Amino acid sequence: MKYKDTILEEVCRFLILSIQIFAFYIILNGHLSPGGGFSGGAILGSSLIIIHLVFGKSYLQKKINSQNIPAFISIPLIIYGLLKLHSFLSDTLHWPHPPIGTPGKILSSGFILPLNIMIGIVVAFVLYQAFSYFWDEEF
Amino acid sequence: MTSNLPLINIMFLMITAFAFPLIKKIKYIYFFSYIIHILLVISTLATLMFVVNHGAYALNIGYPDTFMGIQLYISHVEALLGVVFSIIFLMVVIFASSTIDKEISENRIGLFYLLVNILYTSLIGVIYSNDLFNAYVFIEVSTLSACGLIIIKDKGETILAAIKYLIMSTVGSGLVLMSIAYLYSITGHLNILLSHNVIVATYQDYPNSVLIILSLFTLGLGVKSALFPLHGWLPDAHSSAPTPSSAILSSLVIKVYMVLLIKIIFRLFGLNIVKDIVIMDIILLLGSAGMIFGSVMAIKQKELKRMVAYSSVAQIGYVAFGIGLGSIAGLTIAVYHIIGHALTKSSIFLISGLMISQNKSKYIEDLKGIGHEMPITLILFTLASFSMVGIPIFPGFISKWYLSLACLELNRISLILIILASSLLNLLYYFPIVINGFFGKENLKGRIRKSKKVNPYSLFPIVTLIILMLLTGLFSGRIIDFIALSFA
Repeated sequence: MKYKDTILEEVCRFLILSIQIFAFYIILNGHLSPGGGFSGGAILGSSLIIIHLVFGKSYLQKKINSQNIPAFISIPLIIYGLLKLHSFLSDTLHWPHPPIGTPGKILSSGFILPLNIMIGIVVAFVLYQAFSYFWDEEF
Repeated sequence: MTSNLPLINIMFLMITAFAFPLIKKIKYIYFFSYIIHILLVISTLATLMFVVNHGAYALNIGYPDTFMGIQLYISHVEALLGVVFSIIFLMVVIFASSTIDKEISENRIGLFYLLVNILYTSLIGVIYSNDLFNAYVFIEVSTLSACGLIIIKDKGETILAAIKYLIMSTVGSGLVLMSIAYLYSITGHLNILLSHNVIVATYQDYPNSVLIILSLFTLGLGVKSALFPLHGWLPDAHSSAPTPSSAILSSLVIKVYMVLLIKIIFRLFGLNIVKDIVIMDIILLLGSAGMIFGSVMAIKQKELKRMVAYSSVAQIGYVAFGIGLGSIAGLTIAVYHIIGHALTKSSIFLISGLMISQNKSKYIEDLKGIGHEMPITLILFTLASFSMVGIPIFPGFISKWYLSLACLELNRISLILIILASSLLNLLYYFPIVINGFFGKENLKGRIRKSKKVNPYSLFPIVTLIILMLLTGLFSGRIIDFIALSFA
């Protein structure tokens, strides 16, 4: 960063926390209320972008190594594909279904919750990656 | 389990695609891609055997009811095309493992194989899908991954070509989406089979709608498959992409949309409804124009890969010609030509990539006397160009022969002249390369015999493709009978 702004940093310390909590709320409630993996992931990704802008790249680098971001994107996608393969094939091949749980509770509705979580992670990191490509111009 | 293989193929490719960025060593990336594509060849062959034994079948996914669920439909054509695609992808991947590191930077090789897998998924998705919206989604995926495969070289010309391709094919997919929406508003279904039933019952109430839907489909899929006046993006994109990418793009990607058009004409509307609509004649006209002008433009080219790319425009013209005839014989030959040309064009692109990289010049002029230095490579090129020109036994001849027979069947003898003219024009641009490559005293000056060594890993896939091409020509009768089972 070219310059530091103390007011901005102190405000963002609180703001980012609430943004991320809100993002996790949207992801985890995706199967119960409006929201879901994509919208929650977009909010989570924008919180990463704000950290990058306010505290600088090196601050975020300490928490998330940018070398690992491709892995953060591809591992959830692989898990997503495997879960989806299971739900496509489970009927014809008589594989066990995931427990349905009590409707209205967080742990319910089978695979939708884990699928939402995977999508959330992927969207957050893809957004951040796209931003950092343009911001840092490192291709 | 075997009946579920088409779905498993699609999912397997999607899941394994994202394992490539996790692999750090390039050697393991190559090895992993070999395993994936060999497994795919085995599984598509198993699907083909299943279809041979049990006949065509529909596969409902996730939901047993056709109305709610997604459906794949695998008939003889789909199963056969799946095998051809898997073999070509395997050969291209083997070829790529020996040459791709010279064309793109090392940290992008994982990304290249990821995109190849995604592209493959989307192509077989379009072929298998019996659901128009799913087909549309797969079309979008294939466009984006094909753009990625072009742009991965990261040079000015590839970026320009890919942006051109992206804009034009976005217009194409927009048209396809519009026609799907229009169709849905009339039939209330996205499934091809269910829509067909509604259309057969009610098409006389909507005389113009059928015309509009079919023309939107033709335009949209025509842009994507580079049907003659809509081919503007193709030469740039296919000539500037890395060699393995352009082999895939030119031999498979542009064909898939034609397969979808065949499915729409034959399964969605049915030939009885379509035969009186003017759009079939327009497809025929565009196909004939493509056959002639694609070749004329190819003659003028000075770069080898650009010439081969323009030749693809001409070959798509043959497919459109077969579709536009509007008879079962025409559709059968269109599918046969797709198979024959896919094998031929992929080998021609791989060969021209080899010749360009060894000769260090992309211009046709500098290829004079290349046969002295790379005899085996140029012999393979000669065999492939025999097929393009239409020498008997080769698949190019077979499709021209049967196309002429299909014209005779419909009493449209004048159309045979177009086939003949296009055949002669093909000769004008393929044979000079062969003749100048082998003969002429001044051509061979300064050329040392067999001086340019070719890596056997890059020669093996080409030889395999050429052998398969010859077999496609030799057993053409059986293959055409097999394809015709789908159109019974």
